[in-house]
Amino acid sequence: MPAGKELLVPLVWQPVLGARGAEIYPIIRKIDTVSSNSYLIRTGHALLLIDPGGLAEQADHLAAVIAECRKERYLPLIVFLTHAHVDHFLALLHCPALSDPATSTIAVHENGAIALERGDRNVTQSAILGMEIAGIEIGLRLFSYAGGLTPGVPVRRTFPSGARISILRDMVCTASGVPTQRERLTFGSGKVLEIYHTPGHSPDSICLRFGRILFIGDLLFAANPGVAGLCGWSQDSLVDSIDTLTPLIDGNEIDVICPGHGRVIAIGTGRTMLRSIRKDAVALRDIQELNTERSQTTAVFAEECLSHVSELFTIMAGRLYYVSYVIEELGETDLVEHLATLIKSDTIDTLLDEFSAFSEDYRSGKQQPIHLALKAAQVIAKIERSFDAAALGRIIDPSLISRASRLIADYTTTLRGFSPPTERQSLAIAPLVANLIRRNSARVCSDEEILASTDDDDEFVQVLLARIGTPPLFLDIEVTFDCPDESLVALVDPDRFCDLVTDLFEDLVGTGAEQIRVTVQQSGSGVVISLDGIGCIKPPMSQDSGFLHRSCHCAGGAFTSGYSDTTRRFGITLELAQ
Amino acid sequence: MEITTTTHDGATVLAPTGRVDTTTAGELELAINQQIEQGNRNILINFTGVTYISSGGLRVLLATAKKLRKDGDHYALCCLSAEVHKVLKLAGFTTIFSIYPSEGEAIARW
Repeated sequence: MPAGKELLVPLVWQPVLGARGAEIYPIIRKIDTVSSNSYLIRTGHALLLIDPGGLAEQADHLAAVIAECRKERYLPLIVFLTHAHVDHFLALLHCPALSDPATSTIAVHENGAIALERGDRNVTQSAILGMEIAGIEIGLRLFSYAGGLTPGVPVRRTFPSGARISILRDMVCTASGVPTQRERLTFGSGKVLEIYHTPGHSPDSICLRFGRILFIGDLLFAANPGVAGLCGWSQDSLVDSIDTLTPLIDGNEIDVICPGHGRVIAIGTGRTMLRSIRKDAVALRDIQELNTERSQTTAVFAEECLSHVSELFTIMAGRLYYVSYVIEELGETDLVEHLATLIKSDTIDTLLDEFSAFSEDYRSGKQQPIHLALKAAQVIAKIERSFDAAALGRIIDPSLISRASRLIADYTTTLRGFSPPTERQSLAIAPLVANLIRRNSARVCSDEEILASTDDDDEFVQVLLARIGTPPLFLDIEVTFDCPDESLVALVDPDRFCDLVTDLFEDLVGTGAEQIRVTVQQSGSGVVISLDGIGCIKPPMSQDSGFLHRSCHCAGGAFTSGYSDTTRRFGITLELAQ
Repeated sequence: MEITTTTHDGATVLAPTGRVDTTTAGELELAINQQIEQGNRNILINFTGVTYISSGGLRVLLATAKKLRKDGDHYALCCLSAEVHKVLKLAGFTTIFSIYPSEGEAIARW
């Protein structure tokens, strides 16, 4: 199958359009953090390998294909690294056949060369992935500071592998008219490989254009949560690099974009994606570095978040089953079928099971914190596509959905390198708490509303579903509220405070509280909100504790909890507003 | 998942262990259905060993409630952990079937 306007077929030699006589053999992998795609190109004068990947079996496969190519006649191998991240080069260490200077020349940007020769664990990302690496000898340093290259004047070099390369450095203009360097490599008397320095994802990132194909390394992922902020990442450089490539991809010179991970992309899709990435990148100013410490704290949050999301979605699905059960009793089978479409419970269950198994692997040391953090993001993204929030919120308590959504958004924000947004205000606490108690005590639809809806079938069904699906939390529980000083004003994020108190009320009701006592009082320079649940089952020592401390911190307070003699006690201390 | 089945004062007590999730909910449903097919219609599920229940598990519990609605049938759950109790309570299931702290209390109330 020809390359060019058709996308590339994995594991098959196929012609490269725009480079007559050259062929390409792609290894396309599903996206992961373990290994990149690899692209092997055969010209009449050399074999060019773009990213050997990170796996021993991938290296062995490439070595076998290269050996087959050399059966007819010897061709030197030039290994280009789109950047010196471990998932793109580790295969070199697994397989001497790919890195032996006698047969292979490794080419990487000057900054990557320095990192690889030193075995730098931070720049190569081996530290965050918990790996050790040995130094690698680099044959060809691209965009070298000391290469003796004068723009416009070609330099011919011969390498121990037998590779003869003519290198010409020239200048091109970015989309905004800024001149930037490019290197054009010619192999023997044959084909030209254009190389663009495109830092941002890493300082040494390059993109390579051969024929009508553009190899762009990890540029497509550079603004993604869990990728942006890695050691060496630069927002300004990323935006500039996309601008560097814009004239090339907007012109009529490229048909196919080959990314470092995942499927090959047609140029039209690639243009749209790069515009979107530029927009994302512009928004990423001042993100925190994604280092080992941050990946660990994000992994802790990932487990807390998914544990609570799991509970919320199980309750939501269960509530919908309950509604279906009651509706079925009424003989409304069509309605039951409709309800089943509002949440893909099986899909969500499977995703949560997958995360649970992944989390077990993490705890047993088989996965690194960054892997868990990224897995959580992947699971969350799929969960978000598995339910109809608007329709569900008209039947079951919308607070369940809004709390799940806020938690998911907080996790994504954290993984991106930002702090979850909070908005503290000076507010009277007593009315806030009293309103929450009132909201959880009242029926969502009154008897009068049900009677008023009977003239309209659709409205009646909606009111009926909401009435069944959202029973008052305090239906059979006595709740008392005591606030000696109703004028107490505290600094608080009201939305997050209400989410937290609702979570705590649900915890008390869910663990069997027969009575709940709520008090608000001043203590020193703080306002203390105490929630006591009487008659509760002994609570577990679970991850929820960390989740509640984090939620309370976001609301503007400090959290305490305790249990004695069937009474659970939660305390929230807010700062008294002056 | 391991499910122990015993009889106790005329009740069939099924005691699953571990997680009732996508993989294991079907096993629990099969075990319950086998008992019902054998004519055992006083079913008590002892959750002492259950650490987690998914929505698939909730569906099995509800499906069982639908099967055991004849006069003389009994269906209840007992010994729930705080986590599982919370999910069942907030999902509204405690209005469909009864939950007891122990096997003895469940059977004494039948």
